[in-house]
Amino acid sequence: MKAPQEDAPPRSTSPRGRRQLGFMLAPYALGLVGLVLLPAAATLGFAFADYDLVQPPRWTGTANFTELAGDGIFRTALLNSLVFAAVAVPLRLAVALGLALLLHRRARGVGTARTAAALPTAVPEVAYGLLWLWLFNPLYGPINQLLRVGGENGLTALGRTPPQWLTDPTDARAAIIIMSLFTVGESFLVLLAARLVLPPEVYELAAIEDATPWDVFRRITFPLVAPVLGLLLVRDTILSFQVSFVPALVVTDGGPPPYATTYLSLFVYRNAFEYLRYGYASAATIVMLLLTVAAVMLQWRLLRRWQRLRPR
Amino acid sequence: MSLRLEGVRVTHGAHEVLHGLDLTVARDELLVVLGPSGAGKSTLLRAVAGLTALSAGRVAIGERDVTGLRPGRRNVAMVFQSYALFPHLTAAENIAFGLIVRDVPKAEAAERARQAADTVGCGHLLDRRPGQLSGGERQRIALARALVREPDVFLLDEPLSNLDAELRVEMRAELKALHARVGGATLHVTHDQVEALVLGDRIAVLREGRIEQVGTPEEIWQTPATTFVARFVGSPPMNLLPADGPLAGLAPAGTLIGIRPGALRLGDDGTPARVERVEVVGEDAHVYLRLGEYPVVARIPSAGRPGAETHVTVRDTDVHVFDPTTGKRA
Repeated sequence: MKAPQEDAPPRSTSPRGRRQLGFMLAPYALGLVGLVLLPAAATLGFAFADYDLVQPPRWTGTANFTELAGDGIFRTALLNSLVFAAVAVPLRLAVALGLALLLHRRARGVGTARTAAALPTAVPEVAYGLLWLWLFNPLYGPINQLLRVGGENGLTALGRTPPQWLTDPTDARAAIIIMSLFTVGESFLVLLAARLVLPPEVYELAAIEDATPWDVFRRITFPLVAPVLGLLLVRDTILSFQVSFVPALVVTDGGPPPYATTYLSLFVYRNAFEYLRYGYASAATIVMLLLTVAAVMLQWRLLRRWQRLRPR
Repeated sequence: MSLRLEGVRVTHGAHEVLHGLDLTVARDELLVVLGPSGAGKSTLLRAVAGLTALSAGRVAIGERDVTGLRPGRRNVAMVFQSYALFPHLTAAENIAFGLIVRDVPKAEAAERARQAADTVGCGHLLDRRPGQLSGGERQRIALARALVREPDVFLLDEPLSNLDAELRVEMRAELKALHARVGGATLHVTHDQVEALVLGDRIAVLREGRIEQVGTPEEIWQTPATTFVARFVGSPPMNLLPADGPLAGLAPAGTLIGIRPGALRLGDDGTPARVERVEVVGEDAHVYLRLGEYPVVARIPSAGRPGAETHVTVRDTDVHVFDPTTGKRA
């Protein structure tokens, strides 16, 4: 076998090496351009046009945005999306953090529990939605059957009507949020890894100093995993406009009236693929993107300020 | 307060790490636990702190039996090998941590943290975070944190091992001076024999979970109780030869004789020896010899290096005698 020449230049700097790198990068670069950048550019263009896939696009200037501003359904979808993000994102992070702190220790059954915590994220979204459609069924769904245990005449033990998950607007919004709380597998795994790499000595020191579990959480664990939590907060906020789409489509179909679970993503989907209003849907997408950027920037500023003002 | 261990046993699964240790650290005494890696030193410290459960035995601090108490109720302070400083807290917050979680008012905790920091000479570092501190400075913060609560017992787990050689010598001296000033029963664990000999009021040599010898540094050096202690303490280690070997006549036949490298004298008289190699270590030279079939090492001034052949003599008073079966001092 020929020994490699020690004075040979690194492969990446040679023309052949560069060609190889380019070849290997090509699938990703093509995908990025073809599936992300071009559609994004097209979306931006369509946002200022009227387009229904049949007639050629017709320039309308800012008419789509003007119409969006006066569209009651859009406003409802926007509000629903913001409420979902404001409630579901912190709850999802709390659930992921709670699971990570609960399951970071070595104990019997922990491996199985970790798998169970991560598994729902791996289930195809439509299948997951159909499963919850059954779980939330007001009549024979196991959730309401469980809530009726100890009660009489179809009421809960507290004498109240069980939630009408699919027919009451507030309960339906809660249902979509509850569904999202079980698909925290990625955040859970990231936080589990973040917790596992924390040095055990600091916890032993805390034990010697007689710190309570609450002290340990708020003075040690939380500040040490806070950078990871901050990152996940931003990521989850971006994702929040997407994770509500399939549940709303499969489980509640955007309802119950009046558009209780129509989120921006579903609004865009309906306008584009059901009403063939591509221009209008593109304008809504641009608004959704701007909102996401604004939310992320706001969070970033808040996190930085919190870091500076953190009590010592 | 004194620290007393009676019949302390610790098992990890089927493996017994500590085999019934008895040890007492007097009030204001600094006792160094010395042993090689895997001897059970850190386990011993953790058992005293309450971080590792005993399978048998008793730990008492003063008159208090603390065996069943959780770590936070034992009133011990521990300095970890890694210092275990909280990276997100300033030095002042690190030092005051134990006070804050015990609900000491913030102002009082800050004042006591400042005093403790001044005691160990790191009062000027209070606003810095661990990432902005050198190894020696981190160590001082860890020491200040141990001091601030005025614990009954100090537990130091190889606190100097992460420092470079020069700083280790400096901190060793400071640690000794600090203990002389502050007092308190202190259990200091190390694998470094020089650290043990310099720091310890007494030394307990640990081997595979059993105490080989407890004594003052002089006792450990001058009258090692076993061949293990004899060879573990001293560098290069003590030479062990059969009494009826090449240096016959120094001890009864059937025993082992131990001679420290520094006690071997090279010259024109005595038992002939072949020089195999010489290592110069500053002012000293370690001369690796072969006495018949036995390898021995002598430590001599580097200026007086021998040729290829030499002769060895040793004074009777420099000879340690051991039972070859038990390894114990005869």
